[in-house]
Amino acid sequence: MASKRSAFGRDGGLQARMVFTMFLLGLLYAVLVGALIAASASAVTIVVIAVALFGIQLVGSDKIALATLGAHEVSASDEPELHAVIERLCIQADLPKPRVAVIEARMPNACALGRSQKTATVCATRGLLQMLEPAELESVMAHELSHVIHRDVMVMTIASFFATIAALIIRFAFFFGGGFGGGDRNEAEAIELVILVSVLVYAISFLLLRALSRYREFAADRGSAILTGRPSALASALLKISGTIERIPRNDLRTAEGMSAFFIVPARAKNSMMNLFADHPPLEQRLAALSRLEAQLQSTGR
Amino acid sequence: MGLREILAGRSTVKQPAKRDRLFALSTAYVTLESSYEITSAGVAGIVVQALATSDFQAVLKDTEEVVRATAGEYKATVETSDDEFGFRWVIIRDPAVEDLVATINGVSSSIEAGGYGERLLCAVFAFKGPSASAINFIYNFKRGSWYPFVPAPGDKQRNTERELQLKAQIGEELPIEPELERWFPLWGVPF
Repeated sequence: MASKRSAFGRDGGLQARMVFTMFLLGLLYAVLVGALIAASASAVTIVVIAVALFGIQLVGSDKIALATLGAHEVSASDEPELHAVIERLCIQADLPKPRVAVIEARMPNACALGRSQKTATVCATRGLLQMLEPAELESVMAHELSHVIHRDVMVMTIASFFATIAALIIRFAFFFGGGFGGGDRNEAEAIELVILVSVLVYAISFLLLRALSRYREFAADRGSAILTGRPSALASALLKISGTIERIPRNDLRTAEGMSAFFIVPARAKNSMMNLFADHPPLEQRLAALSRLEAQLQSTGR
Repeated sequence: MGLREILAGRSTVKQPAKRDRLFALSTAYVTLESSYEITSAGVAGIVVQALATSDFQAVLKDTEEVVRATAGEYKATVETSDDEFGFRWVIIRDPAVEDLVATINGVSSSIEAGGYGERLLCAVFAFKGPSASAINFIYNFKRGSWYPFVPAPGDKQRNTERELQLKAQIGEELPIEPELERWFPLWGVPF
């Protein structure tokens, strides 16, 4: 009985990579803090500002984001289908019901906001609701609820805290020509060091945060598959959303083959997805991970 | 969810709670009947998230066979149906509430023994109020708690006032879910 459960949805490698990324971020931030302490006084002000900003971000980011996205909260009578799908997922995930919002846009997309399970909002665009079949919609909503379960907003906000500080220092130095503090030569040198470290921290943390975000996306895909027991429904939804469903050939292979030889690059918009969601993993990798999950699922009990 | 699970982004689907609180209905219905004129509609259903795998289908088939065999002793009938959300319902008809509870317990323990306890959502017991109005008591397997669900006239409307009254009436005997945001409605109940 226990073996069936653990066989489905295990991926130690992903978790190891994720923890390692977080460790690197922590290490990087320790360097920044060291440099800040070395430069003392003026840097402390920046940290105070950053902590205040951090607080605002943590408390108010969801409301700001919802307003910028043009999302409006919908009641169960406005969107009965969407609510019913989310309610069943909440029973399954043992979550309190989040707020549900819709963005009136044709572009299919979805997001989850809020720092905790109690304050969470899940959001879908009108285009998504119109495009997906019920099972696909369920799997996309399960992906968003997995972000809520994993507290990804909180994790990413905290993870990017020091990157925000580094960015602030760089901006500060840019506006004041590096001359804040003034005074003797030692202090000026220390400040130069802080700026240099900040630039480095910012650059490296940018890459690490992207990597972390991609791992969190994989984890949410996995969470969705475990929650719904339908990895292929999410794969199908991702294909539809990315518009690459057209890539599943409908024409006979012989008629298509002749044409592609005339193009130096196959006429596919393969990279457009990656530019659009650079903090998301490439679609191919997500589909591959989901198809591994489906294979695991299908072979349970054999 | 602990800090380690959050950092690792690892979620698992919760297994069912101990089922002893399911049996609270076998005694609570006496109070419902005698004090509040709420009688059993003689039908209950269990909602399962059906997986499209051969192993799961085999477990479900075994479960149905076992329940059909035992239902014969109670003079109960068993049927299954799939709803619009892709969930499987196992519906049991039996005039006695104790038998309904026992059979629902049988279905859930059989599915759990098959290794799919985490796919059990809830069980719905249909009752009738004084003016033949529909009242449902829903048992959430994950949390091991009950809540009333009273549909109101109109498309997907519910009578929250009545539900809160029911909580006050039967809360002493039936372990009612304390968090109101977890009183999830169940639409499209196929009975």
